[in-house]
Amino acid sequence: MIRKTIIITLGLILLVFSGLSFYKSRHLKEPVVIGPGVTQVKKLSEYFPAIKGSANDANVYVLEGAKKGGALLVLGGSHPEEPAARLTTWILTENATLEQGRIFVVNSANRSATTVTRPSGAYPASYTIKTDWGGQTFRMGDRWANPLDQWPDPEVYIHYPTRQNLAYMDIRNLNRTWPGRANGTLTEKTCYALVELIKKENVDIVIDLHEAELQYPVISTIVSHQKGLDVAAMASMVLSDEEFKMGMEKSPLELHGLSHREIGDHTNAVPLLFETPEPFLDATRGRTDEKLLLEGKDEFVVRAGKRGLLFEKIDEKGWPIDVRVGRHCSTILQVLDVWSQDHADKAVALRNVPKYDEVIKKGTGAFLRDPSKADPKLIYYE
Amino acid sequence: MIITILYYLLVAFVVFLMGWNLLKSKKWQEEVLYVIVLLPFLLRLLRLK
Amino acid sequence: MSMTTSATIILAAMVAAYIAAKIFKISTELSMLAAALVGGLVGGAGLPARHIAEGAFTYLDICLIFITATLFMNLLKESGGVAFVVRRILKRFHKHKFLLFIMLAVLMLIPGMLTGAGSVTVLIVGGMVATVLGYMGIPKPKAAAIVFVIAGLSAAAPPVSLWAMLTAAGVNMPYVGFFLPLMIPCLVLALLTIFILGWKSKPVDLEQALKELPEPPARMNWLKIVLPFLVFFALVIAGRIWPFDFPIMGLPLVFAFAAAITLLLSPVHIDFLDVSRRTVHQLLPLIGTLTCVGVLVQIMTLTGVRGLISVTVVTLPAMVVILTLFLTLPVSESVLMWGAAPVLGVPLVLLFNTMNLNPVIALAGMSVIWPLGDAIPPTAIIGRLTVETVGMKERYSTFLKYCIIPAVLIILVGTLMVIFSKKLAFLTVF
Ligand SMILES: [Zn+2]
Repeated sequence: MIRKTIIITLGLILLVFSGLSFYKSRHLKEPVVIGPGVTQVKKLSEYFPAIKGSANDANVYVLEGAKKGGALLVLGGSHPEEPAARLTTWILTENATLEQGRIFVVNSANRSATTVTRPSGAYPASYTIKTDWGGQTFRMGDRWANPLDQWPDPEVYIHYPTRQNLAYMDIRNLNRTWPGRANGTLTEKTCYALVELIKKENVDIVIDLHEAELQYPVISTIVSHQKGLDVAAMASMVLSDEEFKMGMEKSPLELHGLSHREIGDHTNAVPLLFETPEPFLDATRGRTDEKLLLEGKDEFVVRAGKRGLLFEKIDEKGWPIDVRVGRHCSTILQVLDVWSQDHADKAVALRNVPKYDEVIKKGTGAFLRDPSKADPKLIYYE
Repeated sequence: MIITILYYLLVAFVVFLMGWNLLKSKKWQEEVLYVIVLLPFLLRLLRLK
Repeated sequence: MSMTTSATIILAAMVAAYIAAKIFKISTELSMLAAALVGGLVGGAGLPARHIAEGAFTYLDICLIFITATLFMNLLKESGGVAFVVRRILKRFHKHKFLLFIMLAVLMLIPGMLTGAGSVTVLIVGGMVATVLGYMGIPKPKAAAIVFVIAGLSAAAPPVSLWAMLTAAGVNMPYVGFFLPLMIPCLVLALLTIFILGWKSKPVDLEQALKELPEPPARMNWLKIVLPFLVFFALVIAGRIWPFDFPIMGLPLVFAFAAAITLLLSPVHIDFLDVSRRTVHQLLPLIGTLTCVGVLVQIMTLTGVRGLISVTVVTLPAMVVILTLFLTLPVSESVLMWGAAPVLGVPLVLLFNTMNLNPVIALAGMSVIWPLGDAIPPTAIIGRLTVETVGMKERYSTFLKYCIIPAVLIILVGTLMVIFSKKLAFLTVF
């Protein structure tokens, strides 16, 4: 009897401590101090009311230039476990200004997936970016939406509308549920809402920010729908010439559910997907912790690289977060440059976004604003 | 929505069965195993994970 | 200290903890848990409650499938349905061994094909098939081997092959083109298995068998048995045919419905609560293993041990890797179950990609070999489940001995598929 009481008590202690940890990381508040360029903050449910009140009713930050022009949608957090993507959207929403055109920024495209970490993945609960004023902490997140928001999974996920069979858990993967389904699962509805946004706001370009493991062949590249090949090719050429090596590839026609395929097929917008290297995601990674996430240094991944198994270089310097965020910032700027030259009437002129060199020199944290010193009216939570 | 609720009911039923077996169990190894196995079911039921 | 050194030390500590626990007569499940806890301590993570609980979550949905499917089967048994079916099959087919074998093999392939889980095959039809085989003079260990091997093949068979799906997802490869590369070897190997192991069987002594078999309740009939299965398949197939109009039910709920119908149709009174409690108790070793494996993988990932294993595997010479697949795949399966796909399958497919092999065929070949690991101790989850379901009393090693011939065939086919994957690429049509 005493023995049983002890065992049960130990179990309860485990339950309380783990439960608290899960609860805290799920409800961790991530402030966004909107910058001078943001003119409106909308809710995604304004474009599709069915997701109102759900975990995925994301903020949509709207930046508008004085001059009329084109429209850009930037998606961060399609896969929240790829932090450079979300951090880049923070830099945009907190710093950018716009001379011409409109930009819509979604920092948490699959917000539900920011509230969970992967079973057997051993992810840290959160990560902190150092700043002059201390630091800002972000939810770690996963590739898939939280089962607390979408449960159960089917035994096989059949993609709408192509009926392509995909792995069952990918029904919670935002970059497998495009173009979305109005009466589908939460993740499908989220894509549907984003597609509604693209249509209603006449978005010209959609940029979907990602990171990838170095073992994945699609890395350090712009993946483009066939509509956007000119822009992507030109941007990657200039970037490789002036800043860092950047590839370009065409979205495969038969791979369904991905943003660079379906947004292009179902809307007038040109979808582009950017990938930067994230050693934290590699299957051969060693100790899994916040350090690896942010510094991107890993002995085992280097070993796999020496064996010729990787599609991107890695050495003992690793792939620090500032390099990855810097790549995303410069790639966005470059794409807009190329686009605006070709489409003067639909130009988007973005200012006050740091380039690659500047992000590396000053650090990502230099572009995060201190919420404790900001006007509370300017603070939004992701 | 209804289906999700049915899943929570299913988990609650499993928790009930396991809890009952745990209380009736006479072997310490079995008790430890029940406690560990109950952990994810309880956390899901409490909507913590 | 380099990462290799520290991960090696942690791995050694985990292995030592596992062995020590075993010496103190601790069950395999708890020994794995002990290894995980020691790994966390030596790895400098202390007793990380969050990671323990998160690891324990890894196979929650699979545990629910096991519980509901087993409940369904146990209710069917309690209602007298199993005895009824066995008697009818024997009466109808006792003279045609060839037909009987083909029917049994196909019958066993179906549940695993649809669910991706060999254990579901064992639970749904394994017991019945073993009973029929028993009356054909096949000893229980041999019958268990037949059930186990075909159950493994059924799990690898399309449309749902979890190893292929999880690995494909891990390398961001669409799960398409797998149907024929998985279906052909699985079907051929299943038939070979039942014919080879069942070769020496005798015609059934029908009268004797019927005398020994339990008598089903008088009001039992085909409809009462077929209806729950019909509902099960109807719900699964409806989800496939009308994926956008039919709600997503998930397998646990579908099994729960089938169980409910069995309970309602039962001609005898069933103590539902008692059967449920016994089901959970019966499954404790299986669910316990899954849960503890999840914790173990999480701690291995946290401390870099998993990376050490992966990187060691993928940096070996390619031909050595291919020729040792017969060892590495089953062993990884026996330790990690489906976790073997993300841990080992992903780096292997990436290695094959760099060698210019066809990843779909190579992965299909690997998927056929993987399930063999489910019979290998320490976990031996499905092997143990089979032995239990069949009701075998002999030593576990007797059962393993009978698995060898089909296992060799499976390994041969799987490995050849990897080596000649490029030549077989024409199979990846849908
Ligand atoms: Zn991604």
